[in-house]
Amino acid sequence: MVHILYVEDEIEIGSWVTRDLTERGYQVTWLTTGEAAEQHVSQADIAVLDVMLPGLDGFSVGKRLKREAPELPILMLSARSAVEDKIEGLGFADDYLTKPFHPDELAARIEVLLRRAQRYEEVLELRHLKIYMKDGRIIDKRDGSEIVLTGKQYYLFQYFLKNLNHILTKEQLYEAVWGETYIEGDKTLMVHIRYLREKIEIDPAQPQIIETIRGIGYRVRR
Amino acid sequence: MKGWFRSLQARYMLIIFMALFLVQASYLIISIIMSIGLDLYGGDDRSGTGELPSTSAIESKWHEAAGRLSDASASSVQELFVEWKDMYPDARMFWVDGKGHLAEELAVQEELPSIWTASYTAQFIKSRYGGDPFTVIAFVGQQGTDGFIVFEVTRELFEPPINKVYNVYGIWLIIGLIVVVVLFVLISYLFFRGMRRRLVQLQEAMTIRDVDGLPVQIDVRKNDEIGQLEQSFNEMVVELKDSKRREQEEEQLRRELIANLSHDLRTPLTKVRAQAYTIGKESLSGDGRQAIEAMERSVVNMDRLIDNLMAYTLLMANKYKLEARQVDILRFVKEHLATWYPLFEKEGFEVEVELEKLEHPSWTIDPLWMGRVLDNLYQNVLRHAKQGRYIRVTSESTDTYDAIVIEDRGAGMRHVESSGVQDVASQRDQARTMDEGDHASPSHRSEDQGAGIGLSIVDRMLKGMQLEWDIRTDPNGTSVKVMRVRG
Repeated sequence: MVHILYVEDEIEIGSWVTRDLTERGYQVTWLTTGEAAEQHVSQADIAVLDVMLPGLDGFSVGKRLKREAPELPILMLSARSAVEDKIEGLGFADDYLTKPFHPDELAARIEVLLRRAQRYEEVLELRHLKIYMKDGRIIDKRDGSEIVLTGKQYYLFQYFLKNLNHILTKEQLYEAVWGETYIEGDKTLMVHIRYLREKIEIDPAQPQIIETIRGIGYRVRR
Repeated sequence: MKGWFRSLQARYMLIIFMALFLVQASYLIISIIMSIGLDLYGGDDRSGTGELPSTSAIESKWHEAAGRLSDASASSVQELFVEWKDMYPDARMFWVDGKGHLAEELAVQEELPSIWTASYTAQFIKSRYGGDPFTVIAFVGQQGTDGFIVFEVTRELFEPPINKVYNVYGIWLIIGLIVVVVLFVLISYLFFRGMRRRLVQLQEAMTIRDVDGLPVQIDVRKNDEIGQLEQSFNEMVVELKDSKRREQEEEQLRRELIANLSHDLRTPLTKVRAQAYTIGKESLSGDGRQAIEAMERSVVNMDRLIDNLMAYTLLMANKYKLEARQVDILRFVKEHLATWYPLFEKEGFEVEVELEKLEHPSWTIDPLWMGRVLDNLYQNVLRHAKQGRYIRVTSESTDTYDAIVIEDRGAGMRHVESSGVQDVASQRDQARTMDEGDHASPSHRSEDQGAGIGLSIVDRMLKGMQLEWDIRTDPNGTSVKVMRVRG
């Protein structure tokens, strides 16, 4: 079970978030001050921190946790929305969500962070595909066969999975996978996406896994 | 008084006085040289005159001596000549007796006739009159029958000794004078050059900026006028730094205040949302569910309003930091729209994107500011153009500008009048849009209110980034054009 370390001094908000996240299947350790947070860092898969805390503020707690466990994803959850606060927060934290937030958004962001940190012991199911996130195996559920991707296709698909539900522009995809600046009109990416679709889509002409968002880019959605 | 002596004015006065002193001193030196010269050339104490007494004195003495010669014999004349030769070693004398013979002569170098005829005598007198050598002719005795004696001496010997000094030392005097003048010019030049150098250094030092963009203090080395100027400059720098620090403190306070205010408003809002969410999970009647949804919407609106209010306050106080840099606007708009796409999708919008090449896609903008501008514009579309369920984001290039155009098919935005918070700029833009002939009627108002402050922020931020914008709204939709005018 994924373990969330949650620090929030507001009782009403804290109990609400704890309840909601527990209902979503997470194990939540909720603290009202940041002083003891470090003791729980070894069990935590992700930390969700409020900024305005009595005593040690959320930024300091976050920095301490990062020092203790650099791999631990941290999400700052704050009513402070100034750009300076966000910049300070994102200086060490992995995400910054401002209050008032919708619990669905919080859950979605936690999920993204966990996936990015590969803390999910997850088997991702996408339409007819079953993807073992840790070893990157892709199984076609219909006949149980494994789909083998070549180097660039694999990286491309991995990048989509890391940014699940996010629309990625051609530039972002190309630069992430090829590590070079995208030049308008370059067909390389489109060619690779076509090959990838031929391997993973049931009907590559009507793709269900890799959506084309016209004028913007592509998206893999759950 | 001590300070005065260190001043540039005092130093320049000193140079002037030194020059005057040198001129005076040179006179003194000349006098000294002259007296030395007189010692060398004179020898006796007839100071101020030449080696000999005046010509008239010699003339009268010679006449007198000649008159006294009662015995006009060769020996007596010889005696007189020797006596005068003693007195005037350079003089030459001769005697022409009553018969016209050259009877006696002493130290005469020229060839003289032994017989003096009347005509020769007359010619001699004529040639010597007023000429050189100085010649005195005197009759011997009282009767005038014993002939005449002639005394002659080179006129040069009557010149004052100063002439001789000049002849010998004149060149040195001129050189001395030139040296004094050159020295004065040189000292003046060095004085002003030093002053100029320090002024130039001061000017250069004044242009150096510290990391905080303020001038740095200068080392004050001298306590003269320039030193005082440097001192004043340093004081000014201190005051500037002080004022900057105060300003930063105030800014920090203001930011803190706004941040805290924002925090204090958002925390209860979060609680409201938590309660609404919790209630929403219960089994509710249709009305109950609607009420919860309205509450949810209000929370979202409040959240946005707080955010905009804070931004607006900072913008109005010019405290919203602008960090402009070159950004590929097409890429930026695309990536930004990607974050909004799911929201439009959720609301059932048709999203059309046509971001084709622009003439100049590289815009100088602050990505945070531009992001906020687009956020506000998309928010407005989401809130005011829900009915149209359509948004189109395109690029446009004309001869004069490049633009990003956001169009919707909503009922138009005629909400600003009643939004309660508005800005002159947005009012003006609204008015301008109306003047330009859109067909909006007051009955066509979007359901949602409160876009006024959002548009005011859009207006301020775009102007801050030197971009133009234009909004056209009518019952069939709204079109916002963000333009970068070329040239």
